[in-house]
Amino acid sequence: MSEIPWNVIAMQLFFGIALGCIFVLLSSGMSIIYGLLDVVNFAHGTFAMLGAYAVFVVVSLSDSFFVGIVSAVVIVGIIGMVIEFLLLKPLYGKDPLLPLLLTFGLSVAIPDFMKIVFGLIGKPISFPDALSGAITLGPLTLPGYRLFIIIFTLVVMISLWLFLKKSDLGMIIRASTRDSQMVQTLGINVSRIWTVGFGMGVGLAALAGAIAAPMMSATPDMGVDMTMTAFVVTVVGGLGSLGGAIVGGLFIGLVVAFTSYVASAYSSVAMYFCMAVILLVRPRGLFGEQGRE
Amino acid sequence: MVDDRTSTIKLPNLHSPPKPVIVYGTFIVLLFLPLIISTPLATEILIWTIFGLGFNLLLGYTGVLSFGHAAYFGLGAYAAGLAFRYLDASVPVGIIMGILAAMLLACIIGALAIRSKGVYFAMISLAFGQMLYFLALSPLKGITGGEDGLTRIPSLDFLSFSLGKPLPLYYFVCIITGIMLFVTWRILQSPFGKLLQAFRENEERAKACGYNTTLVKYCSLVISAFYAGLAGALNTVYLSYVPLSTLFWLTSGTMVMMTILGGKGTFLGPLLGVGVFLFLQNTISLFTPRWELFVGAIFVVIILVFPGGIMGTLTEKFAAFRMRRQGE
Repeated sequence: MSEIPWNVIAMQLFFGIALGCIFVLLSSGMSIIYGLLDVVNFAHGTFAMLGAYAVFVVVSLSDSFFVGIVSAVVIVGIIGMVIEFLLLKPLYGKDPLLPLLLTFGLSVAIPDFMKIVFGLIGKPISFPDALSGAITLGPLTLPGYRLFIIIFTLVVMISLWLFLKKSDLGMIIRASTRDSQMVQTLGINVSRIWTVGFGMGVGLAALAGAIAAPMMSATPDMGVDMTMTAFVVTVVGGLGSLGGAIVGGLFIGLVVAFTSYVASAYSSVAMYFCMAVILLVRPRGLFGEQGRE
Repeated sequence: MVDDRTSTIKLPNLHSPPKPVIVYGTFIVLLFLPLIISTPLATEILIWTIFGLGFNLLLGYTGVLSFGHAAYFGLGAYAAGLAFRYLDASVPVGIIMGILAAMLLACIIGALAIRSKGVYFAMISLAFGQMLYFLALSPLKGITGGEDGLTRIPSLDFLSFSLGKPLPLYYFVCIITGIMLFVTWRILQSPFGKLLQAFRENEERAKACGYNTTLVKYCSLVISAFYAGLAGALNTVYLSYVPLSTLFWLTSGTMVMMTILGGKGTFLGPLLGVGVFLFLQNTISLFTPRWELFVGAIFVVIILVFPGGIMGTLTEKFAAFRMRRQGE
């Protein structure tokens, strides 16, 4: 490693954190959904893909990237709530594998639907003008958009944390994650909380897809890779743990960034390898609760 | 967490294992399949049925959902393909190589992951499957041919029959399918098979009875990989080529859909599911290349309305009909 100059390492660190931030948003949504509903959302990446397309549509209509991001979250969040209400609710109380299978069915059908509507070729989304430049920091030149991703994710995660810790709804969500029957007994409509929680989780996925879109353009098949990454991060960080999603996401982001620099052929394999090692050493993940694995 | 979410699905006719006449009858029907549908399609159905029999043993009878069976199928296909191409192996040797490779992989993945609970195992198996896919795609390109798949596999003969021709190939695969149907039937009758079903019904109780649930699930996974490896190797014989897509996650997903469609935990479910799925896929792709939309949507409806699949629903309706008759 000594041949690699330190500023290259610093750049890879920066790229890794920016990539990790996208993974953090993606996996924290997955964690919220699993914690609250006990549902492993196989279509998580599919919702991220919908978020990327929502940004594409809104940006081409309104010309504002920020309006695009906000509306992507709202649109996909509503789609998610409708899907939870119509398709997932009937499955609660039955075989715990059924919701996973249902969302799997969605992840097969929805990308094909998008291919019919938007065509096979990906839709490019241009960087917003204000963020397309680069920022010089001493000897380092940092791309402005990636810096934006890091700051943006920081803001979102802090607001999410404040929401869950300080607001009433956040408190109910945390309580339902712990013991939904008790919450129900207290006279709160838990079923509605589940719908809101699913919308929130899916909205975070859409956010991840939306801010990733300018770097990779929106394609119908992008969802599968994102679902896969969310799974790996979740296994590494621990299922249903928000802290695990953050640490796991950043860790996997760094792993991908550094392996693509050192041995690019292995960049897709490396994160699965990390997952295997974690499973061997600590099967419940870094932050997973005992007994939930 | 929500405590009332235990399994309450009505299970199809557990206590009556398939009668021998069903096993032999199915085999005889399969012998005449090429008269009804095109021989290549019939061959494909049989190969996927072998795959499905093993997958159903794991999902339907043991209750373990694997989303990474493409890894075993694909590895079996590649191992057989490499043996045919580089070692000039005979057909049985190549197939055995495929089976052994798949079982070895299942031993490794099982050791890492089989302890995990249901949904967690599904995620981990999927991730390992993708790992193998990406390994074959880029780092091992020199051996696997990367995106082009493994080509230039010589034409194969077995007992002086050329397996390059459709009909000899069909009957070759058909005999193996017959053997595997029989083997599956025997496994389900055996104490081991009963144990699998006991775990699916109530793992805690089986554990309390002193059975090592982890070990039995592990064995079930490895046996299931045997079927997948065999099917993969036969797929290589059938295509004389190994496409990279054999390792892709959609192969695992297709298997899951086929098994659920036919009826998990029913003896003939995999055969029926494979048949209906491939028929649907072939018919829909005549009209539109977007068959996944329809197949995915049909799958969602099945999960919502008929979680027992075709066989499960039929058995249930038949049982209800008989009850009503007795009531009158």
